[in-house]
Amino acid sequence: MKIDFTRRSFLGTSMLATGTVAMPGILRAQEGPIKLGTLTPLTGSGGAYGPVMAETVKKAAAEINKAGGVLGRELVIISEDDQTNPEAGLRAARKLIDVDKVSAIMGTWASSVTTAVAPVCWQSGVFLTTASGADSITKLPHQGFIIRTQPNTTLQGRKFGEFALELGAKNVAFVSPQTPFTDSQYAELKRAVEAAGGKTSILIYDDKKTTLRTEVDQALRGKPDAIVMGGYTTDTAVLVRDLYRANYKGKLLGFGYAVNKQLVDALPPDVSEGIVTLSPSAAEGTNGYKHVVKLLGIDSPDTYSCQIYDHVNLVSLAMAAGKGTTGAVIKDNVRKIAQGGGEKVDNAVDGLKLVAAGTKIDYDGASGPCDFTDIGDIQDAQFRYEQIKGGKIVLLKIA
Amino acid sequence: MDAVLQALINGIISGTLLAVPALGFSAIFAVLRFPNFAIGALATAGAYCAWVVNVSLGLPIPVAIFAAFVGAGLAGALLEYGALERLGRGGALMKAIGSLAMGMVIENIVRFIFGNDLQAFDLPLARDIVFGPIRVGPQQLNNLVLALVIMAAVWAFLSLTSLGRSMRAVADNPDLARLKGVNPRFIALVTVAIGSGLCGIGGTLIGLDTAIDPLVGGRVLLSVFAAAVLGGLGSIPGAVAGAFLIGIVEEFTVLALSPAYRLAVGFIVILVVLTVRPSGLLGSKAN
Repeated sequence: MKIDFTRRSFLGTSMLATGTVAMPGILRAQEGPIKLGTLTPLTGSGGAYGPVMAETVKKAAAEINKAGGVLGRELVIISEDDQTNPEAGLRAARKLIDVDKVSAIMGTWASSVTTAVAPVCWQSGVFLTTASGADSITKLPHQGFIIRTQPNTTLQGRKFGEFALELGAKNVAFVSPQTPFTDSQYAELKRAVEAAGGKTSILIYDDKKTTLRTEVDQALRGKPDAIVMGGYTTDTAVLVRDLYRANYKGKLLGFGYAVNKQLVDALPPDVSEGIVTLSPSAAEGTNGYKHVVKLLGIDSPDTYSCQIYDHVNLVSLAMAAGKGTTGAVIKDNVRKIAQGGGEKVDNAVDGLKLVAAGTKIDYDGASGPCDFTDIGDIQDAQFRYEQIKGGKIVLLKIA
Repeated sequence: MDAVLQALINGIISGTLLAVPALGFSAIFAVLRFPNFAIGALATAGAYCAWVVNVSLGLPIPVAIFAAFVGAGLAGALLEYGALERLGRGGALMKAIGSLAMGMVIENIVRFIFGNDLQAFDLPLARDIVFGPIRVGPQQLNNLVLALVIMAAVWAFLSLTSLGRSMRAVADNPDLARLKGVNPRFIALVTVAIGSGLCGIGGTLIGLDTAIDPLVGGRVLLSVFAAAVLGGLGSIPGAVAGAFLIGIVEEFTVLALSPAYRLAVGFIVILVVLTVRPSGLLGSKAN
């Protein structure tokens, strides 16, 4: 092959190369859009939450893009469905990483999904932000590639134990399917109840069964005055029905993600009456929370929508602060913009302007202060205590 | 002792819930000679037909159950003649895999139309009736009676009607049946429709007892399959016997082991029974 290399072409190529090096960094960064993935449960047990979560990220990214994007580049969000299923979640994560080449995956919800997806993320240098609670997740050897905005289940288990005691219970049964957080949750619940002189028992059931009559008989044999239900909405509905049929009169406690409007709609009002729930609380009343209310156009967005809103903001600000778009840049910079003092910001649009101006920022979001420990756990979280009354979920307190 | 008796009653009740779809599954296998794994999704489709009739149209439960039978029956027949029959040349395995895929398609259509939320029938939930140490739910008794009536009707249909006799003839020997003037293709169509309809009723009975969502049928698919295999694939009385046995064994498991293992114990029972009797409990003709 003959290469024509004339003086004119040499001059032209040299000028182009010199010009490129001399261009401002922001223009050189125009290498196409920055791709970010959401991996939320659009179907399966978490199907009530995932679609809104994915929508939240798209709306938040649209706001950021309207204000000029991150490092002058547009954010493109690719949403995949994990089906609340680890295998499906892993397939979708591989697609996001290998085909779409995303820098971060945001919003995994079920702990089993996050546990399956996490190794692929850190091995590929992709940052993972999650709303899963199982303690084991942040104990994985993730080298800093995971942060979560959901309080871990050690904390949730203790809160359940304390709340059961507060309701006057002395004999607490934990009835749950096997999940990645069942053991740690029960251990903390047991510790809290037994420290106050109470006693506990545990029963693990198969969440695929359409009736739990025999399981209920087994659980009631110990005559518990409170039952903490550890399942998701579908199996919790079966459990509550069978407890009602068995004429159980004690207290029923459940997770906010299981005892929700979907459950209330699926049960006659007298059956669900009085069930109390607790769930990590969004930072209601803060500007970040109000912003999500406006963004989604709904009165009280759930905690997961608020958490994933914080995910996309944290990822965007970390990329801007590190002047790069890789997962490693996000990992190295996320704590620099989230904690440790600086000008308080509650949205990425304001934050990006400050970061560009070289100002140190401290992001406090819609789900809370967003300060993370070394292993990626959230440092501080409030809980929302609610009760079903007359077919409606009523707020008891936020503490 | 009370616990054992209670578990026995619970097992019989959950056995009846498995028996109706197991009947449908076995009937389809008897005539078409392939395991139709779409029955889980057909049970879901039937349950949603019943739910629309009961909740949206406000009609009583018996009408809803009939709608489930018709809706799932039509869906099953359409599936067989629209998709699965074309895979027949690839053999039974190809059809079985095809049915698994079509089941997912049906589940997702249901999900697309009705969403993921749990839906309940318009039915009050009654406390259990207590007989000394034993509890039985009124809805469970209703389901038991309904399932027994349906099983009796299927038996009467197969034994006393000419269509039923033709179905048995095709199941026994399709070539001989053809020589006797029976059209195996038509009989297969009727069998698939009836079998799928029974699965639709099964899904509805589960829904009446609990609630429905797009995975309601999928959750019992393994137990239904286990019941049919245990009874002897293709044997109608075997499917009923297998369903009761699986139901009872699963409930007894809860007394001795963690309930998380009860599905596994069901399968161990299958292994043991089939080791001793490879054709299943009553399935001398299964191959």
